[in-house]
Amino acid sequence: MKRPHRADALLTGALGLLITLGISFLIAVILIFLLSKQPLTTIYYFFVGPFTNRYYFGNMLNTAIPLVFTGLGIAVAFKSSVFNLGGEGQVYSGALVATVILLALPQSSGYLGGPAALAAALATGAVLAGMSGFFKMKWGTDELISSFLISSAVIFIVNYFITGPLDDPSNSMLATRAVDKQYHFLGIFPPSKLDISAIFAMLAGVLVFFLMYYTHWGYEMRMCGLNREFSRYGGINVSTYVVLPMIISGALHGLAGGIAIMGTYHMAVKEFSYGMGWNGIAVALIAKNNPLGVLPAAVFFAYLDAGAKAAMLHSDVTFEIAAIVQSVIFYLITAQAIYSFLRRRKRSRP
Amino acid sequence: MSSGLYLQMRGITKTYPENDVLANDEVDFEVRENEIHAVVGENGAGKTTLMKILYGLEQPDSGRILLKGEEVRIHSPLDANRLGIGMVHQHFRLIPEFTIAENVVLGIEPRRRGIFFDRERAVCGVEEVIRRYGFSIDPRLPVSRLTVGQMQLVEIIKILYREAELLILDEPTSVLTEQQIHKLFGTLENLRSIGKTVVIITHKLGEVKAISQRVTVMRKGEVVAVRDTAEVDERELSRLMVGKSVTFQFEREAVNKGRVVLELRDVVLRQKGQDRPLLDHVNLKVHAGEIVGVAGVSGNGLAELEDVVGGLRRVSQGRLLHDGRNITDLSAVQLRERGLAYVPADRLQRGSSLQSSVMENMIISSHHDFLQGGFFRRRAVEEFAETLSSSFSIDGDPRVPIGTLSGGNIQKVILARELASQSDFIIFSEPTWGLDIASAEFIYAKILEIRRRGIAVLLISSNLDEILALSDTLVVLYRGKVVASLSNERKLSKELVGEYMMGLRDDSRGAAAPSDNGPTETGPSESGPSPGEAS
Repeated sequence: MKRPHRADALLTGALGLLITLGISFLIAVILIFLLSKQPLTTIYYFFVGPFTNRYYFGNMLNTAIPLVFTGLGIAVAFKSSVFNLGGEGQVYSGALVATVILLALPQSSGYLGGPAALAAALATGAVLAGMSGFFKMKWGTDELISSFLISSAVIFIVNYFITGPLDDPSNSMLATRAVDKQYHFLGIFPPSKLDISAIFAMLAGVLVFFLMYYTHWGYEMRMCGLNREFSRYGGINVSTYVVLPMIISGALHGLAGGIAIMGTYHMAVKEFSYGMGWNGIAVALIAKNNPLGVLPAAVFFAYLDAGAKAAMLHSDVTFEIAAIVQSVIFYLITAQAIYSFLRRRKRSRP
Repeated sequence: MSSGLYLQMRGITKTYPENDVLANDEVDFEVRENEIHAVVGENGAGKTTLMKILYGLEQPDSGRILLKGEEVRIHSPLDANRLGIGMVHQHFRLIPEFTIAENVVLGIEPRRRGIFFDRERAVCGVEEVIRRYGFSIDPRLPVSRLTVGQMQLVEIIKILYREAELLILDEPTSVLTEQQIHKLFGTLENLRSIGKTVVIITHKLGEVKAISQRVTVMRKGEVVAVRDTAEVDERELSRLMVGKSVTFQFEREAVNKGRVVLELRDVVLRQKGQDRPLLDHVNLKVHAGEIVGVAGVSGNGLAELEDVVGGLRRVSQGRLLHDGRNITDLSAVQLRERGLAYVPADRLQRGSSLQSSVMENMIISSHHDFLQGGFFRRRAVEEFAETLSSSFSIDGDPRVPIGTLSGGNIQKVILARELASQSDFIIFSEPTWGLDIASAEFIYAKILEIRRRGIAVLLISSNLDEILALSDTLVVLYRGKVVASLSNERKLSKELVGEYMMGLRDDSRGAAAPSDNGPTETGPSESGPSPGEAS
C-alpha cells in the first residue's frame, strides 16, 4: 500500500461514521415506533420517501445546493483554524444584495445581470466575514465571536429591508418583488426545483479542493491551520491567513444566498435562508472539512430533511415529531464529527 | 538542629519511553528534618523529574519513598498535600483576575451551606496564614497587580495554607531580581526557623551557598555527590555538576574567518511584568565560516537569543545587522529571503507540523519555488522530497505525517530542509537535544560541513560538550548578559566555561566598551586574520 497511514485513518473514520449512522438510524426507528400510530408507513417515507419520485428526489438535491456552498465555506475556515460563525447573516445578506441588483437592473441587461448579482452576493459575504478576520489581525478580537455578532446584527438589517422599503405590497408574504424570469436558473429535472446551480455546486467542490491542495494559498492556509508557529517560523505571513480564509469563507456563504435566489426562491422572503449557515457547519463537520466530502455530506443532510418532509405528508407524524427524529440522527452524526475534530485540534495546539 | 531524616527516596528510577531517556537512575535522595536542602545540576540532570515524583506528578518505574521512616505512596499532588508536601513550580499557577485569597484557597474553598463560596472565611483564613508566618501583603489584592516576587510569595502562602511541612521550590529565583531573591531567602530562612523543611532546585551555586545547609548534586540522572554546604566551595560544585568527560572529539580545520555576516549590537529584550531584562546589552559577531557557540544554563537568555535572531521576537533596544545592513525590524519572512536558515530548539512545535506530511514539512520555507501558474508542480515537490530523504538517509515515505517518524528522523528532516536553502547564516538551537548518539554525530558532521562551505553558524546550546567540540568562538550567557567571549582555538577547559555558566566568573563586570564579542578572555576574536588561522 502506498499511503498506509492515510488509508488507515480514512478507513477508521469511515467505519466510525458508519457505526454512528447505524446507531442513529436505529434510535430513529425506535422513536418512530413510539411516536407514530402507523410506524411502518412512517419509516418507509422517512427513509425511502425521497427516492420515490422525481419531484422529491430533485428537491432533495436542490436543498443540498446551498449547503454545499456554506459547507465549503466552513471547511475552508476550519482547515485554516479560523472560525466563521456568521454564516447565517452572510447567506441572508448575500441573497438580499443579489435580489436588489436583479430588481434594479433594466430588462435589457441580458446575461450580464446574473453574474453581476452573484458577484455582488459573493462580495457581500466576503466583506462581512473579512471584517472579522481583519479585526482579528488588527486587534486580536476573537473572530468566532465577532463573526457571530456581526451576522446577528446583519440579519435584523436585512429583515428591515425585506419587510420595509423593499416589501412588495401586492404579495401577502413578507418578501420583495420577484426577480425577472430571465434571471431564473434553468431547471434540469422537472417537475422538481433542481436547476443548473447543481453543476455550480459540484464545480465549487472541485475548485475548493484544488485551491486547498494544489495551490500555494491552500498550502499556506492549511499549514497555518495546523501549526501557526511553524508557519511563522517557516516564513509564511501568518496574519494574512487570519483574513484570507475568512474572506473565502464569507464569499462562499454570500454566493450560497445569491444562488438560492436565482435558482429556487426568485425573491428575498423574510428569513427564507434560516438554517443554511448553521447547517453548513454540520455539513463541514460530517465531511471532516474535506471539500470533496462536502458534496455527499450536503446531500445526506438534505436527504434527512426530505425524508422528514415526506413522512409528514404521507403519514401521521407532525412537524415536531419529524424534527425530533431528524435531529436525533443529526446530533449523533455531528457529535461524532465534532469529537474527532476537537481531538485533532487538541493535538495540534497543546 | 535536629538531624532526623524527614524524607528518604530510595532507588528511584524513571524512564521516559517516548524519547528513551533515563531521567532518574537508581537515585537515592535524603532530606533531614528542618533543613534547607539544595538540589543542583545542569539541564536534564533529572532534578525536576525527581521532584515531580516526590510531588506525585510522575510515577517512578521503581523505588520507594519514606516519609519520617514510613513508606508512603504518592499518586497525585493531592496525596502529596495530604502528606504535608507542597511545591512551588517554576512557572506560577495563579489566576491574575482573582484576588490573593481566592487564588490561595482555590480547590479547597471554605463553603457556606455546602455550596456557596465563603469569601469572608477565605480572606480570614489567608490573613491568619499571612500573620502567622510574618508576611505583609493584603489578601484582597488581585494577583494581576502584584510584582513577580509577590506572586511567588502567594504561591508559598498557597502551600502553607495547605499546611505543608516540606516545601519544594523549583528554580524559584530564575525570574527574580536581586532584592527579590534576598527577600525570598529571608522568607525561607524564617520558615526553616519555625520548623519547616525546604528543598530548593537551582542552577545557581551562589544561592546554594547563601541559603542551604546541605546540597545534592545530580548529573545525567544520577546523584554524584551529597555535601554539607559549609564544607564545599562553588568551584567544586561546578566541577561536580559539569563532570569531566568530554565525549566528542572532532578534527576541526583551522577557522577560515570571512566577513562579519551577523552582528548583534547592544541588544536588549525586556518582557512585561519581568523586572530583569531577558537579554541584557548583548553584543555578538558571527563571521562567515565561523561557528559561534553560545553556552549557558537554560533560563539565562538562550531561548530568547534564538527567538530574536530567528526574527520571531522584537528586540526592545539595540540592532541586528546582516552583512552590515540593519535587519532589526525584519519579519521572519524577510529574514528567510535574506538567507537565514534556522534549526529551532522546539522541533516538534516550531520546527515541524506534526500532522502534515514529511513532504509538506520539507517545503515550508521554499514552497514558492515549486509553483507554476499558482499551482504546485507535484512531481517537482516529490522529487525534491526524495532527494532530501536519500541524501540525509531519512527513513520512510515522504507522504506520511512527520509525526510518525522518530525524533532523530524529524530532526534530520528539519536539518535537510534548512540546509537545502541558499543561506549564508544559520542558527542551530539545541540541535541534538534528546537524540541518540548516532543522530547527534550525524548532525555534528553536517554542522562542520557547512562551516567548511563558509557559512556563518550560530550554535546555541546548553550542552557544553557539544559547544566545546564545535565552536570557534564561545560566548557564555548568564542572566541574559554576555559574561564571556572566548576563543576556542586552544582547548578551553570545561571547568572554566562551567564557572562562567554558573555565574562564578564574569568578564563583563568593569569591562570597558566591548570590543568585539563583548568582553574577550583569551585572544581577541577581531575580524581579519586571527592567530589560529595559521595552525
